[in-house]
Amino acid sequence: MHEVALARDLLKHVESRLDSDRIRVLRIDIAVGAAAGVIADSLRLAFDLLAVGTRAEGAEIFINSLPARSRCTECGTIFEFESLIGNCTECGRLGGELLSGSEITLRSIEVADV
Amino acid sequence: MCDTCGCETRGVRTIDVNERLLASNSSTAEHNRQHFIARRTFAINLMGTPGAGKTALLEATIGRWRSNQRIAVVEGDQATARDSARIRSAGASAVQVETGLGCHLDAAQVHRALHGVELGEGDLLFIENVGNLVCPALFDLGEHLRVVVTSPTEGVDKPLKYPPMFRAADIVVLNKCDLLEHVPFQLEEWTSYVFATNPNATIIRTSALTGDGIDGWLREIEKRRSGLMMEKAG
Repeated sequence: MHEVALARDLLKHVESRLDSDRIRVLRIDIAVGAAAGVIADSLRLAFDLLAVGTRAEGAEIFINSLPARSRCTECGTIFEFESLIGNCTECGRLGGELLSGSEITLRSIEVADV
Repeated sequence: MCDTCGCETRGVRTIDVNERLLASNSSTAEHNRQHFIARRTFAINLMGTPGAGKTALLEATIGRWRSNQRIAVVEGDQATARDSARIRSAGASAVQVETGLGCHLDAAQVHRALHGVELGEGDLLFIENVGNLVCPALFDLGEHLRVVVTSPTEGVDKPLKYPPMFRAADIVVLNKCDLLEHVPFQLEEWTSYVFATNPNATIIRTSALTGDGIDGWLREIEKRRSGLMMEKAG
């Protein structure tokens, strides 16, 4: 459940962007690489619990899952996949050198006045 | 209109952020790294399955470490100070971190623990993480070297089931190799799975129980440590 630590960090990032007590957060958009190993439902659950009593309570979290990219160690092809590890789309070899896909980024938040 | 149910929403606007999560962990990790560099300490984050023999590997390491530099250990466990007591019995200094509900060590916990560790010039610091093949992979502690310890009784497919952990490792230690002849573990298959998740990993086979492979493990650590020191000196 490293999602609890992620959710705590997410809440901290969100709150640092709120410049007034009289606004609340409606929506949070984050992007998560497919190889990051983040369970979306666990992250939402943890965030919902941690956000109780804050200006982000009840905010909806939208998670945009980004494909991961690896370079095949057999044929050199750069291929995309949407899980923790993938097969080369050219030669079928499993795995390879991960080029991207482990990022977890807070993209934007949507707020409203109260 | 109603203020509580959101039936009237005013002043809706989007704030662009574009910040990496866990950035605060990374900056504390960087602080730890500077602390290590200032003391010429080589820091190793030792991760792995519960029961793979991480503490036994450390005991064997402490027993055979022949150097003027000492070994210190930060021990992470959910509960008990049993492992730090084992490390002290083996002859090294140890600080225990009990993480409670936490499933991993983070950079801030290590930072706090470092205040209780006396590090001399060139000492070796092991940070034994909470036994877990998932969460610790995500948290930079400021270490120079990441090691994953696993064992034949866990089966050959762990690298495929826990790719982020094996991907994070500089060195993968297959401990308990004295059991290889007793369990149906296909070494070649396991090796191919390690390299599938992490083509750059170095694999070391040890038995902390019999001592086999420990000298090779120590040589590898010394190689990495002196490589880093040369780099810093250059």
